[in-house]
Amino acid sequence: MKNTNFVTGSFIALTLVVILGIFFFQALNQPAHEGKTMPVDNVHLEDRVSLHYVLKNVNEASQYLESHGKSYFNERDEVPSKTIEFGKSKNLEEGSANEVTSIVVNYRGFDTLGEVTVLFISIIGLTLLMRGINNKKIREPSLILKTGTTFLSPLIVLFGIYVFVHGHLTPGGGFPGGAIIASGILLLIIGLESFQFNSVLSKSIESLAGLAFVGIALAGLFVKKSFLANFMPTGTVGYLYSAGMVALIYIVVGLKVGAELASGIAKLKEGGKND
Amino acid sequence: MINSLFLYSIACILFLIGLFGVLTRKNVIKILVSLSIMETAVNLFLIIVGYIKNGKAPILTRWDPHINIHTLNFVDPLPQALVLTAIVIGLGTTALALTIAIKLYEHYGTLDITKMGDKK
Repeated sequence: MKNTNFVTGSFIALTLVVILGIFFFQALNQPAHEGKTMPVDNVHLEDRVSLHYVLKNVNEASQYLESHGKSYFNERDEVPSKTIEFGKSKNLEEGSANEVTSIVVNYRGFDTLGEVTVLFISIIGLTLLMRGINNKKIREPSLILKTGTTFLSPLIVLFGIYVFVHGHLTPGGGFPGGAIIASGILLLIIGLESFQFNSVLSKSIESLAGLAFVGIALAGLFVKKSFLANFMPTGTVGYLYSAGMVALIYIVVGLKVGAELASGIAKLKEGGKND
Repeated sequence: MINSLFLYSIACILFLIGLFGVLTRKNVIKILVSLSIMETAVNLFLIIVGYIKNGKAPILTRWDPHINIHTLNFVDPLPQALVLTAIVIGLGTTALALTIAIKLYEHYGTLDITKMGDKK
């Protein structure tokens, strides 16, 4: 009886999924409407707002349009733009070579502050829910795992630090770097039986890093009269000491995310008996 | 040949696979895996919105030093930045959901949602 119910349920679910799929594909293959087709293959970056993020002239463009009384949608071609030279351009509005980082940390920095808060709250929830659960011992690590752990985990943590320090130059940044550090600590937790995760240290790093993020944001408020404004010199594009506040914030975020995820992993392994 | 319509179709199919999994699986862990597949599909969709034909990764390098409005050859970095946020939030929700799954297993002794609720 239960099996028939399951088959019927699967059939209804399949029907629903197929109907939804028909809706999706109908929306994708929409015919041209009033001479306009869906912009799938003829997109240019010049038609998008991201152009000003890439050319790093958001403030200049908005000031130009405001002072000349022009609207963005009709006259954006007239906005002046400069050439950015890698390794030569100095003191731009935003100095990081990685455009995604410049958007995440500089132009949309408040969003990142909220993101870090969401991660923090979810790890708090994990800690609260794990209270009272004593996990059973996992299998004893083999010789290969033990040897590999002692050799590899310092390298993994070092690589994580590299990724978040170079977040404004190369792909990566605070969140991937933190995740890599946490994976190195996961290897330590499962590979070395003598390893004791220091939750006090991880909580201190996490709290101090969060405070530092808000402190940098408030420093921008006092120096440049805008929350999370880049108050430091942006330097030359492509150098390690460039991008001002972006590099600092990504270091802080990397430490915070690494400590947070590592404490979450340790909680999942050990249970919440310590608190 | 890759055109955007093909990529959008892949994202939609992935989303539908995830939805089917959420609707039909009985094991909590498998439901969470299906939710993750749906989340990946939505992230993929947003990334494809930023796809520009023959575009490169939006990073300034020394091999392509002069960037101005005429030589610009990047994909759109804004959806990538938004997806970065979405991935981190997805990680947080997945961690929380797995913890709830552990709690459910401790309480009922099973991960099958059709057998939960038998024990008072």
